[in-house]
Amino acid sequence: MKIWKMFSIFSIILILLFQAGCSDSSSTGEEDGVVTLKFWDMHTDAEKAFFEELVKEYNAANEDKVKIEYTAFNQSDYSNTKLPVAFANDEGPDVFMVSPGDFTKYAESNILADLNSYFPEGAKEDFLPASIEAVTYDDKVLALPYELELLGLYYNKKMLADAGVEVPKTWDELKAAAEKLTTTDVAGLVLPTDKAAYLNFIWYPFLWQQGGNVLNEDGTKSTFNSPEVAKALDYWGSFFQDGQAPSKLQYGPWDAGNLGTGSAAMSIVGTWLIPVLEKDYADTEFGLAPIPVPEGGKPATDAGGWKMAVNANSEHVDEAAKFIMWCFAEDKSRPLKWATEVKFAYSPRISVVEEGKAIYDKGLRKVFTEEIYDSAIPEPRFGPEIVDAVGEAMQQVMFGNVSGADAAEEAHKKIEEALSK
Amino acid sequence: MRRKGMKRKLNESLTAYGFLLPNLLGLTVFVFVPMVYAFYVSLHDWNALSPKVFIGFENYKEMASDKEWWKSVNRTFIFTVIYVPLLFAGSLFFAVMLNSMKQRFVGVARTMFLLPFAITSVISAVIWMFLYDPRHGFINQFFDLLGLPKQQFLGSTDQALFAIIVVIFWINLGYNMMIFLASIKEIPLDYYEAAKIDGATGWKAFWNITFPLLRPTSIFILVVTTIGSFQVFDQIMVMTKGGPANSTMVSVLYIYKQGFEFLNMGYASALAVVLFLIIFVLSLAQLRLYTKKD
Repeated sequence: MKIWKMFSIFSIILILLFQAGCSDSSSTGEEDGVVTLKFWDMHTDAEKAFFEELVKEYNAANEDKVKIEYTAFNQSDYSNTKLPVAFANDEGPDVFMVSPGDFTKYAESNILADLNSYFPEGAKEDFLPASIEAVTYDDKVLALPYELELLGLYYNKKMLADAGVEVPKTWDELKAAAEKLTTTDVAGLVLPTDKAAYLNFIWYPFLWQQGGNVLNEDGTKSTFNSPEVAKALDYWGSFFQDGQAPSKLQYGPWDAGNLGTGSAAMSIVGTWLIPVLEKDYADTEFGLAPIPVPEGGKPATDAGGWKMAVNANSEHVDEAAKFIMWCFAEDKSRPLKWATEVKFAYSPRISVVEEGKAIYDKGLRKVFTEEIYDSAIPEPRFGPEIVDAVGEAMQQVMFGNVSGADAAEEAHKKIEEALSK
Repeated sequence: MRRKGMKRKLNESLTAYGFLLPNLLGLTVFVFVPMVYAFYVSLHDWNALSPKVFIGFENYKEMASDKEWWKSVNRTFIFTVIYVPLLFAGSLFFAVMLNSMKQRFVGVARTMFLLPFAITSVISAVIWMFLYDPRHGFINQFFDLLGLPKQQFLGSTDQALFAIIVVIFWINLGYNMMIFLASIKEIPLDYYEAAKIDGATGWKAFWNITFPLLRPTSIFILVVTTIGSFQVFDQIMVMTKGGPANSTMVSVLYIYKQGFEFLNMGYASALAVVLFLIIFVLSLAQLRLYTKKD
């Protein structure tokens, strides 16, 4: 009989556990008139701390009205698992961060709330028109841009000097420099290797420099079978075929480790690298230049960056939208702190960049401000199928012995198919 | 008297089911319900964000002409055909070796073989990424020392799948070897003594006594390993994400891509249902094939 007693106790515990697990833990709601909002993102370290601080400040200022609960997840979990699963179960966060790669997916599914009416008087005009355009869908502003991350060519000054290599300005010079700088221990040029939105992100400037693009002006037709695409693919792929760009990396392609540890002489990376190089690798001298251009081409770089968005299905769209406007569209101090102290990026707000002029001219930042900023094109927000088709074409050229023209033709068909859906 | 007997019997089966209950509950909630639900979802067009739209068997029709999917299935078959025999032969070989070793060393050797199995799959994948690194990896440094040319491993379309097979082999070898070792220990020594008198030792004894008597264990390992190799995912996800140029894009990875990157949940579910059927048929066929002779 003892067994029975134990068994029934065990069963009861089990049932209770299941109930607890299955019950709707509705943290979104009102308690004593205080609205609780879920805020999710994918930041780490100092960036996460910045948002923790912001949330604390906002909660304190609106104590009897709004309470924000902030949670940060690992980036790949966040984009590929956390958000889709939460939205699928109607448990999505009220406020969240969205990447350009995911923007269209969410916009098409009516997940993003229109923020147009929440901008404080005159605030929208302070944003760069291109940055607002990048988050406008069907005349609705569906997210709030808060940073522009630009790309440039970073290099190790000593390695270039030792090899007698000038800072490359053209495609041919970059290719020659990469060849000269490649040794058994040092990669001439580090570029991303794995298929992901980041791979395309770094490649787009090579396409834009020649005036090429993935889609036509109004985004209805593929222009991927153009000679410009083939040329950009072949040029990019040649670094991998000739062994000047490693086929596998120990650090992420966006990581300062590649240059910092001396295992790479050059790398195309974004603005975020500057504070890390200054802080963690202060002993080595690094240089920065615009991405080299092909003959007859014009300079181009990406302006990437996450955006802040409000869940259109939230019960408290008003409160959520007010919070994100407070974060980045009102006072200049918060966006300035984010873009200059926490990380290095450009604020999409003209007044903020002016306010931080002194910082934007410091060290390598000056190169971005004076030589690269004007050539920035917002990161495209293609749907995942187009991103995949472009990435696949790149992979085929990099590793599959396929010519740029053939890979482009194959991807062109897939993009047309994705657009016709 | 009779009533008492019946009561005891009832009591016994209640206890038995009682002990099974937690497991059954878990299986129902985490396996059977999701399986049925996956089939339900596979009949819909659903991107996880907007409501499901019923489309019947459209997803299955689309699948028929999805070249990338069938390529991934083909790749999974290649993986299985290489990996399963390799693991089977490898674990049997080391089990026999260990069995004939001095007792003192067996404990240490067993632990060493089993260690990789105790490491989280993601961590072992990361360890091997360092070993495989084309520029600074240990394996290439070693090759260099021997005067062999450096290899690209995970960065090469020809080598990546094999490089991954080696990793998964390394992880699972010890566990399967332990199962074989346990079965070998069950074989009565009398058989070997009798065989010795008849003049059968070494290879002959293995072939005529050990191997046939291991039959049930062998079947178990073959079937389970085949199922496992059709479900391979985490190591590949960490090491190559299906690349380079899709050369390691196996079925489960493709399903993941459709489901969580493209958010084609309905289509991904249909793919999962078909993969389940493939594994199911294959396992049945294997069981039929191996047990036929008895």
